[in-house]
Amino acid sequence: MEDRFLEFVKFDLQIIALSVFALLYALKVYQLMKLPWPKEMGPRRGSEELGVVYSFAWLFFPWSMSSTTQHLGRWVEFALYHLGAGAAILGTFTIPFWPAIMTRPVSLTMAVLVIGGFIVGAIKLARRILAPELRVVSTPDDYFSLAAVEVFFFFTAMALITEARGWMIAYFLITAAFLFYVPFSKISHYVYWFFARVFFGLRYGRRGIIAGKKA
Amino acid sequence: MEEQKTLVEQAKEELEKRFSRTLAVAASNLCVHCGLCVDQCHYFVATRDPHISPVAKAEQVRRVVKAEHDWLRRIFPWWTGAKELTEEDLDKWVEAAFRNCSMCQRCVVNCPLGVDTPLVLATARGVLTAVGKAPEILVQLADAAIAREENLEFFKDFYLEQIKELEAELQKKVGDPEARIPVDVEGARFLYVPLSGAHTIMPAAEIFYHAGESWTLSMFEAANYGIFLNDPVRSKRITERIIREAERLKVQEIIITECGHAYAVSRWEAPKWFKDQPWNFRVRSILEVMDEYIQTGRIQVDPARNPFSVTYHDSCNLGRNSGLFDEPRRILAACVEDFREMTPNRERNYCCGGGGGLVAIPEWQDIRLEAGKPKADQIRATGAEAVVASCDNCRHQLGEINEHYGLNVRVMGMAELVANAIVPKNGKK
Ligand code: SF4
Ligand code: SF4
Repeated sequence: MEDRFLEFVKFDLQIIALSVFALLYALKVYQLMKLPWPKEMGPRRGSEELGVVYSFAWLFFPWSMSSTTQHLGRWVEFALYHLGAGAAILGTFTIPFWPAIMTRPVSLTMAVLVIGGFIVGAIKLARRILAPELRVVSTPDDYFSLAAVEVFFFFTAMALITEARGWMIAYFLITAAFLFYVPFSKISHYVYWFFARVFFGLRYGRRGIIAGKKA
Repeated sequence: MEEQKTLVEQAKEELEKRFSRTLAVAASNLCVHCGLCVDQCHYFVATRDPHISPVAKAEQVRRVVKAEHDWLRRIFPWWTGAKELTEEDLDKWVEAAFRNCSMCQRCVVNCPLGVDTPLVLATARGVLTAVGKAPEILVQLADAAIAREENLEFFKDFYLEQIKELEAELQKKVGDPEARIPVDVEGARFLYVPLSGAHTIMPAAEIFYHAGESWTLSMFEAANYGIFLNDPVRSKRITERIIREAERLKVQEIIITECGHAYAVSRWEAPKWFKDQPWNFRVRSILEVMDEYIQTGRIQVDPARNPFSVTYHDSCNLGRNSGLFDEPRRILAACVEDFREMTPNRERNYCCGGGGGLVAIPEWQDIRLEAGKPKADQIRATGAEAVVASCDNCRHQLGEINEHYGLNVRVMGMAELVANAIVPKNGKK
């Protein structure tokens, strides 16, 4: 009976939550695609294609923007936080669907990444509360989303380290709740991020501002 | 009888009309409120006021967009900051979008997510213009440009008289009584579009003379205040005057004088408005033409004729908005002996504070000068004796910050610098 509950949260609940999540994202994308898109028409000075490649690549090179050059620490935080998130999300798939690769060293490595994300999350939360320039733009969702990710990180790390049934159940329950919440919150930024980087690359590439190529 | 719509209803309607895919993305949950753009804006750098950071300004508009489009708007609007528009908000938008943003785009190239903050604020400008809340002076300047075409017969004789006087000056300058400032010449290669004021005509005329160019001067000014209002109807109307003139004269190219926004409008925005009527001419900046003349040896220049140290200010509209980074640098390498880059430069350059139509609004001079502080610091750090800007609005602002911050530099245009450096083929000058 007890094992059936673990199985349920590990498989059935995840599949339901993921399906709802995917459906909501598809709806978001559909809503966007329905809107008019005023494309660039001026004769090209540079390459749109290269612009898009550069636009996505910028994220990985902190020297590509003044903001990340000036605040290198923030870029490192960003990298650690997203590595932690990546590991935590990966766990929701590998633990139920590919248990064979979840050896002890793999679990512990993932736990270390998640703990890194957790520490950065705490710093981000503190900054949001303390820095006036962030406080004036912060919404309840900003605080809640950060806190929710912290909770998610915490349960992920505990599940990975202990591999105990109780922590596993908590981890999968939190994951499911998270999947239902994310499409409504600022955590959904990465869907828009994809579009934004494409728009940026097309415009700044075509105009010859980035990608340094003249047509 | 149809009921009169309130200002707020009109504004919401206009906002909906402008709700495109790009705006939907920029005004969505894309912005994670990370604050990395905050100190990339010259307004914040100068004032340290958290309310005029890019994200804080955009947020005022974004919250209203969210009230219409965010999924949680009906159940918990406050959760993501969604807010119903009020008349008071519209007044705050005037400050955020017109007074406290020069549309320089520095925040966009520095946002890791790619949030187009100036698009959000430009949308607010468009909405404010539609409901009659835009700065009156910008509306008047845009309308005056349109009226000039409608009353061309009235202006024409006076304009031609002025050009005759300038022509006499040119003849004296180049030592050739045959030198011309041609107007209304059918079949000329270039239609050169100046701004008001001889300083945008004379150096160009001198350069064209030495290059032996086939050109004709436009009857109109390049400035397009419609774009500062984000009013596509006015902007299109203003551009249309020049397009019609180019078509009538059957020129091969429209050459825009040293004016950042006029170039960006004609080169990048206008093709969207005229997509059903493809043009038979191309649009270039005088910067590109001067660069071509120097690179191809069509004019000879001697850097010793500009014997002072020079730094270059990348106008946001020419650089970050149009990609003209290498042309001015090649020109400077040929025309001055001591060129000093300011830091940062190119797409990372700071706005001078005069963009977005702000130089035309006297009542906001205080904030404009305050926001010009990072630029003043950049110029001072180069130790240069002259600062060159290829945009008239920038030059106006640089002139004021020069005085305000006691920089003691000479503010020059690129054409002026090139004209100084020209070695005439006939040995005169
Ligand atoms: S606009 Fe970009 S850099 Fe600025 S707060 Fe939003 S996400 Fe961060
Ligand atoms: S466009 Fe320029 S002035 Fe406007 S918010 Fe961005 S950085 Fe500031």
